[in-house]
Amino acid sequence: MPPDSDKPRGLTRRELVRVLGTSVGLACLTPLAGCGSFWERQTAIPVDSWHKGVCRFCGTGCGVMIGLKDNKVADVKGDDDAHNRGRLCIKGLATRDILYSEGRALHPMIRKNGELQPASWDEAMTLVARRFKDAIQANGPDSVAFYGSGQLYTQESYTANKLFKAGIGTNNVDGNPRLCMASAVTGYTTTFGKDEPAGCYEDIDHAECFFITGSNTLECHPIIWERVRDRKRSHPATKIILVDPRKTPTARHVDLHLPILPGTDVSLYNAMIHVFLEENFIDADMVEHYLSFQEGEQKRTFDDFTRHIAKYEPETVAKTCGVTAQDIREAAFLFASSKATLSLWTMGLNQQVQGTASNRLVSAMHLLTGHFGRPGATPFSLTGQPNACGGVRDTGSLAHALPNGRLVANPKHREEMEDLWNVPRGRISPKPGHHTVALFDAMNRGAVKCCLVMCTNPGQTLPNVTAYREGMEKTFLVVVDTFYPTETTKFADVVLPAALWVEKEGVTGNAERRYHLYPKLVDPPGEARSDLEILVDLATRLGYGDLIAARTPRDVWDEWRKVSAHSQYNFEGITYERLQKERGILWPCPTETHPGTKRRYVPGQDPMASGTGRFDFYGKPDGRAVVWLDHQEEPLDLYSDEYPLIFNTGRILEHWHTMTITGQAPTLKDIHPDYLEIHPYDAHRLKITDGDPVIVKSRRGEVELRARLSDIVRPGMVFATMHSARHLINQSTHDAHDPFSKQPAFKRCAVSVRTKTV
Amino acid sequence: MARPLRQSLIAFMTVAGLWAAPAWAAGMRDAVSSVDIFRSIGIAASVAGILLLILVQYVYRKRLSHSTYHRLLLVGVFLLPLTATWSTTATVMEGTKSVQACRSCHVMHPFVNDMTNPSSPTLAARHYRNNWIAKDQCYACHVTYGATGTLAGKRDGFRHWFHYVTNTYPDPIQYVGSYANSNCLSCHQGTGKWERVKSHQTLVGELSADRIACVTCHGPPHPLPHERTVAMANRDASRRMAGGPDGQ
Repeated sequence: MPPDSDKPRGLTRRELVRVLGTSVGLACLTPLAGCGSFWERQTAIPVDSWHKGVCRFCGTGCGVMIGLKDNKVADVKGDDDAHNRGRLCIKGLATRDILYSEGRALHPMIRKNGELQPASWDEAMTLVARRFKDAIQANGPDSVAFYGSGQLYTQESYTANKLFKAGIGTNNVDGNPRLCMASAVTGYTTTFGKDEPAGCYEDIDHAECFFITGSNTLECHPIIWERVRDRKRSHPATKIILVDPRKTPTARHVDLHLPILPGTDVSLYNAMIHVFLEENFIDADMVEHYLSFQEGEQKRTFDDFTRHIAKYEPETVAKTCGVTAQDIREAAFLFASSKATLSLWTMGLNQQVQGTASNRLVSAMHLLTGHFGRPGATPFSLTGQPNACGGVRDTGSLAHALPNGRLVANPKHREEMEDLWNVPRGRISPKPGHHTVALFDAMNRGAVKCCLVMCTNPGQTLPNVTAYREGMEKTFLVVVDTFYPTETTKFADVVLPAALWVEKEGVTGNAERRYHLYPKLVDPPGEARSDLEILVDLATRLGYGDLIAARTPRDVWDEWRKVSAHSQYNFEGITYERLQKERGILWPCPTETHPGTKRRYVPGQDPMASGTGRFDFYGKPDGRAVVWLDHQEEPLDLYSDEYPLIFNTGRILEHWHTMTITGQAPTLKDIHPDYLEIHPYDAHRLKITDGDPVIVKSRRGEVELRARLSDIVRPGMVFATMHSARHLINQSTHDAHDPFSKQPAFKRCAVSVRTKTV
Repeated sequence: MARPLRQSLIAFMTVAGLWAAPAWAAGMRDAVSSVDIFRSIGIAASVAGILLLILVQYVYRKRLSHSTYHRLLLVGVFLLPLTATWSTTATVMEGTKSVQACRSCHVMHPFVNDMTNPSSPTLAARHYRNNWIAKDQCYACHVTYGATGTLAGKRDGFRHWFHYVTNTYPDPIQYVGSYANSNCLSCHQGTGKWERVKSHQTLVGELSADRIACVTCHGPPHPLPHERTVAMANRDASRRMAGGPDGQ
């Protein structure tokens, strides 16, 4: 036995004190020794690096910070330095998961014996090129078409537009913005001569009155709505007026709600102008120096305008619109008497047969009362897609348009673009192409033989969709999408897998003319490629490799911003380096040192505006914005005994468009949008109870939904969302469209509703 | 019990009672905070301890039996100082919950100034001015519920203090880690307004794991880093003084 065996086991008291003392001392030193994490709260999702980017979804274009872990997107949070001040909505948060959702298209596919079967890229692209070449040879360039999207990056839309218009020689280039923002485009161009809003998001922070019309901002543009609410929270006297047929979640927070009947906007705005005239709210300086008046092709005077408006007394109009004259007067008074009024609108205004007229009347209300071009005072259209403005409207990727506000129909504009694109004069066809509804109608007729559909889902989104499915079936349809299957791939002859979001690089332009950059952070899955790579490949195979010389996102952007320098859109100063560094820049921005433009047409602020007056509407030859004399037409698809209800369509907070992305996101996919809102009065009369399966039938088709009894809708009106492919509401909607913008009227048709007999 | 001991106890009780009783009584009416009570007990214990030691050592020593003397020394040297130590700790633990305690570091001024600004739209300011949280507004949202939460909160506080006094913090400061949504959910979850939003239901798992922050949609809770500069504070102040609409 060793001699010290009688010592107590373990530590002596002295040793214990020493160990404890040392431990405490070391613990105190950990922050200094770089072991701060021991002291700190940890992140729930570990991330290796953070990168600046932009949300994939709507036209708000929120800045996001993207966290990568092991070369995969692990986390997404709002960017504190972007306009959204770190905020994101539920869809923005879901971008974390979208790249890794189920249902991604991974390999090219070719339809053989009626089935889509995997193929190699070369095989697929050879087939596509051959079919396009054959069609062009046999039936001319107008027998092929491109149907794009407000979700393609600017470089992609620009390249497609150039390939088809300056290469192939057809103006059959259109896209889903035709279903979305076309009436806003014609509204702006007929009023100001130039497309895109004059104001910016910052105006929200200065407005004293918000006139929100045809927009469920809370659900569809939640981050914009939070900014509106912030203004109201800071300045409780700020008034919010809402014009919307439904008592939407937005309506719960407004001061005045006008539940107007769909399609009667022209009457309402004319009636509000009637009040402006009656109550002496007209800005005489504006009328004298900055405005002109027009009706159709005819020039009109202010007196003509006054006589025209006299027919729209609120008391007369109230019945047409389904609201009280008192409310119209109240809305007009609040609009005109505030220090700065900001209007916000979106699909409710655009998706109707008088979409253009409604758009320009909202602008007219601002111009006539002088609520324009000051902080907080502007008409401002909200956009549904991340790049409808920058990618499609600015690049002119629409059937009637050419880049930077030019028109196919204008020989001078064609020549300018032929020179800028370095193609022989006369290459661009003088004939405007088919707008969306006409394009799919041409497919029905067999006039269009081949169509390249990129990043959109017309098999679900077209109005009266059943009527156009036959055409899609007949046409050689090439569908490039990130998800498979969709309603459109059902009719595809070739399906090409596309990269999504930060799997590719590109620039988009959001609703406030802000161009910002999406970086490429991860590789696409399977064999998926970026849409730009696909377009470049197609161009090369069709023999236009020389025309499409810019082949990387950076090169295409450089070419495009230099093209813009030859227009009043000028954003030559938005270089790639600035895009990489800054949180986007608002055009016009002619030089690299220019900070961007918050308010257009204001000399001193807009580099394109000249003179020293209040405004310079340089888009019009006489420098005056146009106020139009628009008449209320008979609303579309009048209801009858057989179809006694008005059908209205819209969206919910959690889903986006046709759910191809949000329907797969784990955080969103369990929220089902398949219901029909019906007022309890109507439900009682039709013996429908909550949750009943019901058939909604219009003059064109019918759709089955579950009834949801709700006083969100007015009696006499029913509502369903446009999201789900399980119940295609567009089998019922009307394909009538605005005569100017050609945008279909999704917001109104007559239907009947009955319980489904089991 | 020996007379001197009894006298000492009476003296002690009187002194302690004089301090503690009114504070306690007042505390019942919520006019005096628990910090005041803890502080009073601590002071009372200290005073009583000193008084007891003086009395035992210099006044009653000769009249006390050996064992009573030792017992009284035990009370004066150990028990009362222990009470005082406990009360000091409790005072600090309780006292650092207050907004004033947080504001005692200059770094916190923009946060507290914003919170108390009646026209700020931040989450903190709205909770403050609408009285959704009645007191200790910083602490209420920055300590996770439960015993470990308190511990983590105090640990954070100590770390902040350490960085502050050693001047080893980044400016502007950044929130570290994932914010504990349980701070929000403990009041909001289950309310009608909360339930009405369908995505809240599908996100319950993500929210309770802090993988999605409530403040991402409903924030920002405080002024953002670039809004916390001196220039910004001055601009806000001048705007408020002008009282007019925000200029460009």
